[in-house]
Amino acid sequence: MGRFIVRRVIQMVLVMFAVSVLTFLIFNVIPNSDPAVRMSGRQASESTIEAIREEWGFNDSLPQQYITTMEKVITGDLKSQFTQLSVGKEIVKGLPRTFSLAIGAALLWMFVAICFGLYSAVKAGKFADRFLTIIALIGISMPVFWIGALANYYLGFKLGWFPNGGYVEFTEDPIDWFYHLILPWTVLAILFIGFYSRVLRSNVLDTINEDYVRTARAKGLGERQIMIRHVLRNSMIPIVTLWGLDFGAVLGGGAILTETVFDLQGVGQYTAEAIGQLDVPPVLAVTMFSAFFIVLLNAVVDILYAYLDPRIRLQ
Amino acid sequence: MATEPLTEQAGLQGPAAWEQEAEREHVHGLGPWRLGLRRLRRNRVAIGFGVLFVLLVLSCLAAPLWAKHVAHTTPTENHLSDTIKLDGKTTNVVGLDGVPIGPTYQGEFFLGADPNGRDIMVRLLYGGRNSLMIGVVAALMTTILSVVLGVIAGYFRGWPDLTIRSLLDIMWSFPVLILGVALGVALALGGLQLGPITIGGDSLLIPIFIIGLVYVPYMARPVRGQVLALREKEFVEAARAQGAGPLRIMFSEVVPNLASTILVFFTLLIANAVLLESALSFLGAGVRPPNPSWGTMIDEGVDRIATAPHLTIVPGLMLVLTVLSLNVFGDGVRDALDPRAKVRLEH
Amino acid sequence: MGKLGRRALALLLAALSMSVIAACGGDDDSGDSSGTGGGGGEAKNGGSITISQTSQPDFMDPALTYTVNGIEPLWLVYTPLLTYPRTGDAEKDSLVVPGLAEDLPTISKDGKTYELTLRKGLKYSDGSPVKASDFEHAVKRVLNLESGGSAFYLGIEGAQDYIDADKCDADIKGIEADDKTGTITINLSEPDGSFSNVLAMWFVGLVPGDTPCKNLTESPPPGVGPYKVTESVPNRQFVLEKNTNFPDLGPDIPAGHVDKITTKIVKSAQRQAQDVISGELDYMQDPPPADIKPEVKAKYSDRYKEITTASTYYMFMNNRVAPFDKKEVRDAVNIGLDKPALARLFAGEVAPGCSFLPPGQPGFDEALDVDDCPWGNPNEPPDIEKARQMIKDAGVAGADVTVYGNNDDPTDKVTEAYADQLTKLGFKAKPKILDGGVYFQTIGSAKEAPQTGFANWFQDFPHPKNFFFLVDGKSIQPTNNQNFGNVDDPEITKGIAELNQEPEMTDEVAAKWGDLNKKLVERAWIAPYGHRKLATFFSERMDFDNCARFHPVYFNDYSSFCLK
Repeated sequence: MGRFIVRRVIQMVLVMFAVSVLTFLIFNVIPNSDPAVRMSGRQASESTIEAIREEWGFNDSLPQQYITTMEKVITGDLKSQFTQLSVGKEIVKGLPRTFSLAIGAALLWMFVAICFGLYSAVKAGKFADRFLTIIALIGISMPVFWIGALANYYLGFKLGWFPNGGYVEFTEDPIDWFYHLILPWTVLAILFIGFYSRVLRSNVLDTINEDYVRTARAKGLGERQIMIRHVLRNSMIPIVTLWGLDFGAVLGGGAILTETVFDLQGVGQYTAEAIGQLDVPPVLAVTMFSAFFIVLLNAVVDILYAYLDPRIRLQ
Repeated sequence: MATEPLTEQAGLQGPAAWEQEAEREHVHGLGPWRLGLRRLRRNRVAIGFGVLFVLLVLSCLAAPLWAKHVAHTTPTENHLSDTIKLDGKTTNVVGLDGVPIGPTYQGEFFLGADPNGRDIMVRLLYGGRNSLMIGVVAALMTTILSVVLGVIAGYFRGWPDLTIRSLLDIMWSFPVLILGVALGVALALGGLQLGPITIGGDSLLIPIFIIGLVYVPYMARPVRGQVLALREKEFVEAARAQGAGPLRIMFSEVVPNLASTILVFFTLLIANAVLLESALSFLGAGVRPPNPSWGTMIDEGVDRIATAPHLTIVPGLMLVLTVLSLNVFGDGVRDALDPRAKVRLEH
Repeated sequence: MGKLGRRALALLLAALSMSVIAACGGDDDSGDSSGTGGGGGEAKNGGSITISQTSQPDFMDPALTYTVNGIEPLWLVYTPLLTYPRTGDAEKDSLVVPGLAEDLPTISKDGKTYELTLRKGLKYSDGSPVKASDFEHAVKRVLNLESGGSAFYLGIEGAQDYIDADKCDADIKGIEADDKTGTITINLSEPDGSFSNVLAMWFVGLVPGDTPCKNLTESPPPGVGPYKVTESVPNRQFVLEKNTNFPDLGPDIPAGHVDKITTKIVKSAQRQAQDVISGELDYMQDPPPADIKPEVKAKYSDRYKEITTASTYYMFMNNRVAPFDKKEVRDAVNIGLDKPALARLFAGEVAPGCSFLPPGQPGFDEALDVDDCPWGNPNEPPDIEKARQMIKDAGVAGADVTVYGNNDDPTDKVTEAYADQLTKLGFKAKPKILDGGVYFQTIGSAKEAPQTGFANWFQDFPHPKNFFFLVDGKSIQPTNNQNFGNVDDPEITKGIAELNQEPEMTDEVAAKWGDLNKKLVERAWIAPYGHRKLATFFSERMDFDNCARFHPVYFNDYSSFCLK
């Protein structure tokens, strides 16, 4: 086990290195314009651009430029070119909000998807299944920001059932926190519900055909017991992995659109704003950190799996 | 389950799901096309949505006809100070406070106007051309790149496989939307230089390039898996024994056997590319004005959702219909071509 | 102003237009910039209010901030030696008065030496005494931090040397301050008629002499003003509280009314407007967005007003590039430009006009702006047929024209509408929308040689110099050009140079600026189409009638805010 962990960690570090190189290339090499001009944000004058060129070492060799960039990212020295505020600090400030959005939405989509998926599988081929399939497909066909904007305006502002966006700290007022997040959670979850329920449905259908399920049925176990103890449990494994990774991705800035539509001011909205201003440092940092985060979660999931299932270690 | 909801968190759905896809895909063997077609024909819902998609494409292609003969305007013509007759009353196309007219359900301004006094119906059809063009071309680009990379990796194995797989793994670590906006921000100013070709930052080719690129790992990996299985098949062995070179084997033996996978992926990729285009445009990292697209139209619309909700609802509905029709149709095609689908449905 | 000067001013353009463009107003405009001072009642003191801004101020540091978001609150926290009155009388409020100085400066005959004396017994908000040398320190911070405002102070003797030394505590040769007597002497390398205005800018609001030369956004230094900053969390909120150490500077520079002003950063302008309607917020710094405005104007007109600001929106026409090198063509564009149509794109927040100098600037002539506009009344539809014919006669019908604009809202829409109007006049016009971040640099590059496009300007201070450098032949440069149309009318250029030397803005001098403005407009060097309006929108619990003072230079005046 120890050796597996070491191997996996080395692999993770290598991938992170590659990720950082790719990010560096995206921002500094691939585009067909002066990186200093791009870095200088909206208020660029010649002297600012020159200062940035100096600061980021854009006249140095590429490897040296890479090192300079990484030093900035790792030491937290990265500053928005627009406000001169530390990118790291702003990201940390936004994390509790993004986390609140991600965790609630993730629990919601998991719960609803299990219900939908299971019901769909049990009723496979029947009307209910077809109906849920179409609903799921509609769910994954809607742009989040579109449905979010409509929900926010009609349910939030016009009907006044929900707050019209915004966020209240959990520590300030838990009930208000919950109330403000209901719409964002639902909107973010819709897409995942569609996707997860369909994955679960086909997993359940696959599992039902497995020998051990037939055996259980032959033994005369109740249908309900079979479903929960054998079928659902085994169908859930891939979904749980997926869930972990998706949760990580949403946390790593994946909820850009939902946060922006509902004005939650988390990491995602911070990124969206930086995109609008073509403020490169925050976009660079978020890109790199979200990929790091996903690589890390991947490794954690793998190690957990290996711990649970010794066969994996040998692969 | 190739119906990746590649909107915002999209790519995040990540590795595991697509790995499953890979497994599933390489299970089914030779594509019994006729059987598949017959099964597809029985799936009336899928066919219906397929027809709907074709109709949507045709109506967008017919945009100039509508503009010229029905709406009597162009997608760029402003009607800021104009008035039209509505139920006998003269109405401003754009009010003095900047509020544009809503749907009139008559030839001119059928679906209302935007704040510039431009005909939304006309913009919608022209914007749809851009959205669909981006979707189709980007999906084509993804497909070609993925098949080339997947076949090379799967067929040669060894270091080409290792290189390609690592590259795909690295791209995979980025959430699709984040990778898209990163490229969008980086390329917005100066555009892109590909050898002798220079693409301007405001060109439609930029979002096509970005979207075509970010989905490559999601298709290349399943393709590689399938090629790995195919290369061990008897008919490949036979071709090899007959002295066929690797290129010949790849083109005449391997790729044709990937056809059903490619078809399914292509359909779903268009859907996802259209969605991603709208998300990128909404964030300002996709299609750049003055080019219209459904994404930029929604983006412009949400700022006017209270006074002119049609600006948000209309392009959004078009987008949902298009993506939905592709998703349902693609789903049907997959069910039809995947023999196991039948088994699944009978349970 | 030096070379850097125009550049730094460009920052303001970008910055101001960004924050102001998001802003909105309405139709019941008051025509000129007369603010509402008193509505008959007494303003009540005390209480706390919560207000909002759409984006974080660029900096919460007087030496650095250059956006409305920062200036609106901070000019009340950091009073400079000279300042503007806050009385509600727009004309009076545009004139520089002594701030922390005892009197207006004594200016030497050659116009190069300014002498001021600091008032006695002044204290910062933290209780420490104000010293004359603190002024020099404030200027040092502006220069050392390469603030967007540093350009204004480069005329001070030795300023460039100070910057080159790159040391915060180096000496600025042209400023001498005596802490004992409180006298401050400033030497300029060249006379500058607007220097009193420059001394009244928030950049040089006094801060303690030991304030470090770095961006203090997260812990703003103490100052002398009606309010002090007690909390500043970037991108979340900042809090102003009444400064109990604020000295009595006379009735025209009053203290504030409410005790505490919490400014929240709320990114969605729609939400802000909804929250002001519901009373969750008391005031929004950006006017209600176009989307909510019709409702606001219909239902809440008793707490909403719009005021025209000293700003000008115009189309530049590059007279070094065909087809705009012909005067007849520029004439035709001025005739054919549909100004009321463009105003609709601003949801009525632009007052159509054809004067380059905006209302509020000395030399502004209201008749020229509207009724006697040589190109036809800007409030009426243009004579497109005539303009079309002129373009045909000039032989340029069908010429390709690329119209430049940026993606700020509603600039993109304005650019597209302008391109469409040019098409209707007979050109083959295509809009080219650049990113807002690089727009002004791009069109200011001789290599790009843009034909025509969007431009605007908000005043830094009420002095025509601040506008005329945009059309000064001497300010043309190959990069970062602010004279986008390369206007180089010998008579106007000469006039600007002469008038810049005038140390005082007498009626006579103002009239001369007015003449230059008239020539500029009549000769169709540019195509102005209006002046931006800003709005004030209060919650129900605010006393709108007595407490919504609008300042001609710094917009909504927080020190006037009060509760019912």
